[in-house]
Amino acid sequence: MTTPAIAIRNLTKVFPIPFKRERVVAVKNLSLEVEAGQVYGLLGPNGSGKSTTMKIVLGLVSPSSGSTEIFGRNSTSVESREDVGFLPENPYFYKYLTGAETVRFYGKLCGLHGAKLKDRTGELLKLVGLEEACDRRLGGYSKGMLQRIGLAQALIQDPRLLVLDEPTAGVDPAGSREIRDLILDFKSRGITVLLCSHLLGHVQEICDRIGILHQGVLVREGKLADLISIENQTELILEDSSPELIEEIEKLILKSKARLVEKRKPQTTLERFFLEVTGGKP
Amino acid sequence: MTHSFRTVHKNFSLARINTIAGNTLLELIRLKVFYFLLLFALLIIGSSAFMVNFTFQEQFQVLKDVSLGAMSIFTWLLAVLSTAMLLPKDIEDRTLYTILAKPVPRFEYLLGKLLGVLLLLLVATLLMSAMFAGALYLRQQMVIAATLHGVSPDQVQEAIRAIRAETFTASLVPGVVAIYLKAALCAAVTLFISTFATSWIFTILISVMVYFIGHIQSTAREYWLASGDGSQLAKIFMFFVTLIFPDLQLFNLVDDIVAGNAIHLLMFWKTVGLGVSYLGVYLLAAYFVFANKEL
Repeated sequence: MTTPAIAIRNLTKVFPIPFKRERVVAVKNLSLEVEAGQVYGLLGPNGSGKSTTMKIVLGLVSPSSGSTEIFGRNSTSVESREDVGFLPENPYFYKYLTGAETVRFYGKLCGLHGAKLKDRTGELLKLVGLEEACDRRLGGYSKGMLQRIGLAQALIQDPRLLVLDEPTAGVDPAGSREIRDLILDFKSRGITVLLCSHLLGHVQEICDRIGILHQGVLVREGKLADLISIENQTELILEDSSPELIEEIEKLILKSKARLVEKRKPQTTLERFFLEVTGGKP
Repeated sequence: MTHSFRTVHKNFSLARINTIAGNTLLELIRLKVFYFLLLFALLIIGSSAFMVNFTFQEQFQVLKDVSLGAMSIFTWLLAVLSTAMLLPKDIEDRTLYTILAKPVPRFEYLLGKLLGVLLLLLVATLLMSAMFAGALYLRQQMVIAATLHGVSPDQVQEAIRAIRAETFTASLVPGVVAIYLKAALCAAVTLFISTFATSWIFTILISVMVYFIGHIQSTAREYWLASGDGSQLAKIFMFFVTLIFPDLQLFNLVDDIVAGNAIHLLMFWKTVGLGVSYLGVYLLAAYFVFANKEL
């Protein structure tokens, strides 16, 4: 049995409210595992405990009870972070640094230096498509560019796990698509991704497995395909079918016990349409 | 997948501290904090306007008093204002999350931040010292030039020796070191406050209060002890005030320098030792609060 990328066991986090006797239970007895190589979507409405869970996994917040592990190492240990890259929601990196300086700064924090650091910085700036803007200060970067530089810094030490909090928040559809493609690229490279997002369409496209948190409790968890498929329905999408063939199928349906629920032309997504119109890559 | 860019984690790394310190220094320099040096230069030039009818001893005294006093205030302001925003800004911008999500221990982050400010203060102190020395040298040359007209040739060497002896006195170096140490100590105090403060305004206010308490505590203590009516409770209170707040008056050597008094080396090194010890204590206190801080 392989070691899971993330193992959360009976995790509870309670925040006391200052000067009051009340307490807020942000996460309640949460247990889940993220297998290595998966893209895992952690979903939930605002205040459901997603960010707190992520922060505990990253060692930024300590659990009230229970434990979290990253590739078998307790999250509270600094060493466990060797394996993690993190992109927070709406990050503002040091505005006075250029893109290349930012990536180098994080590389040095991870112990890289010299030619190794230079090579890795160049490689990542190319990967996220910021080669040409690498000498510009971040103060002049767009939202999408900031997210991409955030991904580059998250990847600097070649981590086995990426934790991404709303990576496409505030980014235009083209930028959003690029980030989504990058996540799929990470997956193909064997990197595990823990993704928090409110954009359920994106989650549906890229996640293998999801967990839904509500008021700090994990209410659903499993393979995405299993969770959202409607077991007693079947979808047929035909191309270049003649009206006669459709009529024939409908007659067969009428003769059977089955019921035709809906007959319609498949539609493209608004995002795909937007990207086609604006010249983006669909 | 190969992991050729992975490194072996060290529990304590000077390279990581150096990276954070260098970045902090760069941040403060790019915030253009050195513009205040123009103000310092103007102050030195402005002080010359009052020296027309002074003796050369008085001229040097005024220049030293104004320059060292301004250095003390400017380094303190720089220490408090630049340190107060470091931590809250990193938290607000979520930059701190990205740094601590890397294998960086919290102590190294704090130490790096403090060292960055100390480097900034060192650069600022050196630049102000250079400007002060330049102004003192110019004043010396002006005084020598003026003196040469009024004394007989056989007294020239004696007069020049007397002027030079009044210009660059040995006590100037410990005086500048003490100014730097006081600012460094105030930076450590501010860093400690910022680990639990809810805003940078609160941090600055408390730091200013510590500064004033630090300056008046020795006078208050002496007054209290001299009056002899202090209760046991008051004595305990005084003891804790003395323990928590460093006696910043010890770092004030300007009056002695201006008066031409010699600085006792042993006393000076004791002050240096006290300053460094307090700095270490405040850094550790900051770490204990920051280590358990929920981010």
